[in-house]
Amino acid sequence: MTETRIPETEARLPASPREHLTSPVTRSVLRIQHRMLTAARELLGARGFIELLPPVIGPVTDPGARGAKQVDVDYYGHRYKLMTSAILYKQAALTSFDKIFFIAPNIRLEPLETASTSRHLAEFHQIDIEIADASRDDAMAIAEDLVRHVVQQVVAELPHEFEALGRDTSGFAELIGTPFGRRTHADAVADLRATGHDQNPDAELDWVGEAKLSAKASRPFFVTDYPKGSRGFYDREDKDRPGMLRNFDLIAAEGYGELCSGSEREQDYATIISRMRETAENPAKYAWYLQMLKDGVPPSAGFGLGLERFTRYVAGLDSVWQASAFPKVPGIASP
Amino acid sequence: MPLPVRSRPKERILYAEGFPEAAIRRRARAGAADAFPSPDDYGQVLFGADPDCPAAADDLLDRLRLVPPVFVPQRLAQLVELAREPMYRDVRLETTIGGFRSALPLYVSAFGSTEAASVALGLAAGRQAGRLGIPMVIGENVMPVNSYGRLEADAERSLLGRIRAYQAEALDGYGGIVVQQSTEDADAEVWNLVYSDPNVLPLLESGRLAFELKVGQGAKPGLGGMTLVGAEAAERLADAYLLDPVLGGDRVLRSSSPGTFTEEILRQQIRLMRNNYPRAKVWVKLPPARDVSTAAQVAWAAGADAVSVDGAEAGTGWAPRAFLRHVGLPLGECLLRIGHDRAPSDPSCLLASGRMWEGARVAKCLALGANAAGLGRAALLAVDTDPDHGLVNLVECLALELQFLVSALGKYHVQALDPEDLWSPTPASSWATGIGSGPA
Repeated sequence: MTETRIPETEARLPASPREHLTSPVTRSVLRIQHRMLTAARELLGARGFIELLPPVIGPVTDPGARGAKQVDVDYYGHRYKLMTSAILYKQAALTSFDKIFFIAPNIRLEPLETASTSRHLAEFHQIDIEIADASRDDAMAIAEDLVRHVVQQVVAELPHEFEALGRDTSGFAELIGTPFGRRTHADAVADLRATGHDQNPDAELDWVGEAKLSAKASRPFFVTDYPKGSRGFYDREDKDRPGMLRNFDLIAAEGYGELCSGSEREQDYATIISRMRETAENPAKYAWYLQMLKDGVPPSAGFGLGLERFTRYVAGLDSVWQASAFPKVPGIASP
Repeated sequence: MPLPVRSRPKERILYAEGFPEAAIRRRARAGAADAFPSPDDYGQVLFGADPDCPAAADDLLDRLRLVPPVFVPQRLAQLVELAREPMYRDVRLETTIGGFRSALPLYVSAFGSTEAASVALGLAAGRQAGRLGIPMVIGENVMPVNSYGRLEADAERSLLGRIRAYQAEALDGYGGIVVQQSTEDADAEVWNLVYSDPNVLPLLESGRLAFELKVGQGAKPGLGGMTLVGAEAAERLADAYLLDPVLGGDRVLRSSSPGTFTEEILRQQIRLMRNNYPRAKVWVKLPPARDVSTAAQVAWAAGADAVSVDGAEAGTGWAPRAFLRHVGLPLGECLLRIGHDRAPSDPSCLLASGRMWEGARVAKCLALGANAAGLGRAALLAVDTDPDHGLVNLVECLALELQFLVSALGKYHVQALDPEDLWSPTPASSWATGIGSGPA
């Protein structure tokens, strides 16, 4: 084993799993999270979604994870991966049902600079949704309804837990009562640059920039139209505006940052091959997925909503690890 | 009925004067294996362009001469600054290479995993490059072939072993590590692994980590990396590479793909690197291709911190004979083409490699617009000669030559060299760059 050095992080990690699991804060948070999941399933079930159990390993996984290393698994001599996200399987699953969702565990060995963002875990869960024959607007509408419904339910049903956490839920009135805002990536970049923040216009909003925009907001808002080169090959390029993707992020208010990423999906075989090369991927390893596309998958849109981040926002937590019973902060060896 | 007895092949009855008879007869015996140099040389011979071939013998960079002027305004400026006549040791060699501060306009270019560039030589080169304060590129394949080294017992052989060797002796504040990745390496996520590794944090925090996108290479432009591997290694690599038994015996030719690039693919790959690795620099390695200048422009426009061009005379690795003799632009021509399309004061960083080992060739490349030159085979030979000091010695001599040459040209910083310092005996190559030409 080599020596591992970890950067100073502001997060005050629990000394032991027992300390964390028996803490009243953790108990309140996990009760809220439990109810959030129930509420999410209620809404999605009522809207005709089928919950599928997600795959955990596969020959390939989502490469669009911003510098995070995938975990290799020796699968009978084949190099398999733990899911960084189940996006490829979501597209495939639409050959079975038109509306599906997973509550999916994901593993990403994130770059160490994320250890101090307060919103990265190496192991986390997504409420992962895919809708056949849907547009970006359809997916954004579901994301908005889902967030609103979940917040409404937990705020109404668990006032004592919020009280115990010291979370003032009156701040959610705007989230519940007013449609979420929308802005383009280009607009967000211009805003950041105007305040002296050196945001790369060709890239994702960086962690600091995203937190700045989030801190200015009083309810969640969407950022749309990210540039190609900032996302995975499966986000569809806008055919009327080359270089622009038909995608979105949902950013929480109060500085809690990104909750959710989604898009209309590319499902054309030849386009996907070119996009794989643009994202430096080797198409050879995606054989099963490419065959699936060749044989046809429905056009779709969908998103993944980070459950622990969503919980952190709802419960008003300092760090996202507080929203996990068994947290894995990037770079820190923990149970 | 008995078959008729076949007569023996009647070799050496025909003669073909003025025709490469011996080569044809060799090929008639060996078949497809003759497309390559003898596999017996693999592991001992550093390949690269065949020095006997006509193109190498007539190398543009060799033909160019560095020509000092009588009138030296920059020397006057230096005289004013120093209040004494400047001497060659006053020439400043420190420069910036692809976002790194470097003690010299030199870097160690990638050796790849070719057997000649063995683990011991790679480590020795790394240690000495660190000591010299110059950047070092770690080739593609080092990790897929030799592993990463975090959990394995043979960590020394690994990518991490090479990074450690460099870091252990690195001159404070100088140099940097550049980790290459090719199309097949993407499967092994070399960059993701390095970028998220706690061991590499000191390099990231001091801004001394770069990733190099390998678009191609000098010795065999249009082909991917090639190595000879034994049967056991071949089995392990079968998923990711083309394994070709063309050479016979127990050696297998392992080929990477050249990777598929369009302008858009190159542009987006660079943007994605900047998106995913904001704390690392981005280098792009180009082959000596006919559109090398366009590719360099695309790379710089997309935000590459450096573009390195490997001339056809470059390369340490295994390559087919036809490529060593006949394929790719010589480095000098690459530099002329890029210089022609580039604004005179373009601040983007251009790096050049191909048969670099002494000061004059490096000075000519700098005069043609390069910011630094890469040592490949020369670095390997140097550490093979003396694993503790060989590269340092070679570079000290090169640095002294550079100081002599630059001061003779009336300049006192390596970056002040430009085409006016060169003279070409053939005017054909002079129109684009302002190089002097005509009768001596």
